[in-house]
Amino acid sequence: MDVLTFSELFIRIVVGTLLIAAFGILFGLFYKGIDRKISAHMQGRIGPPLRQPFRDVVKLFEKENIVPDHAIPWLFNLIPLIGLIVTLSILVYLPLGGFPPLFSSAGDLIVVLYLLILPSLALVIGGFSSGSPYAIVGAQREMATMIAYEFPLAILIITIAWNLLQKGVPSVFSFTAIASQPVWNQVTGPLGFIGFGILLVVLLLVTPAELSKIPFDSPEAETELAGGLLVEYSGRNLAMYYLTDGVKTVVMASIVVALFFPYNLSPYLSLGTYPAMVIDVLFYLFKVFIIILFSVTLIRVAIARLKIDQIVYTYWIPLTLASLVGLILVMWDHTIVQWLG
Amino acid sequence: MFTLESGSGFWNPLVWMLVFFIAFLLFYGIRGFGKSQYKKETEQTKAFLSGNKEAAPEEMHVKASNLYWGFTTSMRSLYSVLRKMHTGNTSDYLLWFLIVLAVLFLVIGVI
Repeated sequence: MDVLTFSELFIRIVVGTLLIAAFGILFGLFYKGIDRKISAHMQGRIGPPLRQPFRDVVKLFEKENIVPDHAIPWLFNLIPLIGLIVTLSILVYLPLGGFPPLFSSAGDLIVVLYLLILPSLALVIGGFSSGSPYAIVGAQREMATMIAYEFPLAILIITIAWNLLQKGVPSVFSFTAIASQPVWNQVTGPLGFIGFGILLVVLLLVTPAELSKIPFDSPEAETELAGGLLVEYSGRNLAMYYLTDGVKTVVMASIVVALFFPYNLSPYLSLGTYPAMVIDVLFYLFKVFIIILFSVTLIRVAIARLKIDQIVYTYWIPLTLASLVGLILVMWDHTIVQWLG
Repeated sequence: MFTLESGSGFWNPLVWMLVFFIAFLLFYGIRGFGKSQYKKETEQTKAFLSGNKEAAPEEMHVKASNLYWGFTTSMRSLYSVLRKMHTGNTSDYLLWFLIVLAVLFLVIGVI
């Protein structure tokens, strides 16, 4: 890890965590507002104002925090808080706003992949601790969904790492290395472009499942399970899950940006330091918006909810095969160039 | 300092724990602004079951095997073949073991 003095490390951890928490919460809720507004317009409705998610959080804090009779109270109360904290901790490893990660040498893509499991696990534990049959069925569905989407996601990560390994990059899972060697700059022919294009589509389809959004929201399924694993949650505990959802949306979109679109505008505009920073932050926020628009808003408005067996099938058969095809195309891209060269 | 390195990956658990601790203090404080009261031992604390009467917890139990329903249903054809292979006969399992071992030796020998 970088050579930092204890005081530097302490300041970076305290101030950095607080700043990243503010960023994650503010923009998580802001993008939630945009998502709701756009989806409402697509359905011919006016929709709530952009600040509605902020009002929702305030409203939930004023509501009663009900703990059901058959729940395990300490776990039921603690786990929404843990879910929010671990989701937020992922942001310290990701490049945000055109800046390198806060702790670029303290964790890599594999760590992020493991940490991504924890918010879903928090939902599962919360569901099981509720003591409600609806919540238990929802928790079981969340577990099945997690098992399903990990497979194509792992192939995607391996492909990106393998591609960097072929270029002789030493730390292939490091976000700094990935951001400095964008995948589109590494490909040498059309096969590589098609391969990475397929992998990008796979990642955009894994994103709604990570976020429990339609069509992969069967763990919550309001019309069927009345909210599933969140059915018994209310008040400030539900507010914690609400915030987790917003922060995780920013996390997933930032991962897509880091893996596939780590470009900045400032190098092309020859600006001063501060204007360049502002332009890069705005460009990053725009990229996050575009990713949320395609992988969350458009999909959830256009497609109906899938059953859990359809979710498993979608991830294990078509999307796993698609990601394997992507991997093979990227490998052929290298092999053909070697033959010709 | 305290960074675990595997050759291609790295992680510093100490940094993560400190970030976790700071974030815990922050959000525990924020959570404290929320209302903690509710009406204990009222209808409010009964599980929501779409208007159905709540039974004893052991009667409302959801089987753990329910978890696998999505897998067994979506890959029915694969599971039906696997189920046929699970005869319960030890000699059949030993035969499978020998076949897999022979294939492995062949693969290792060829490579």
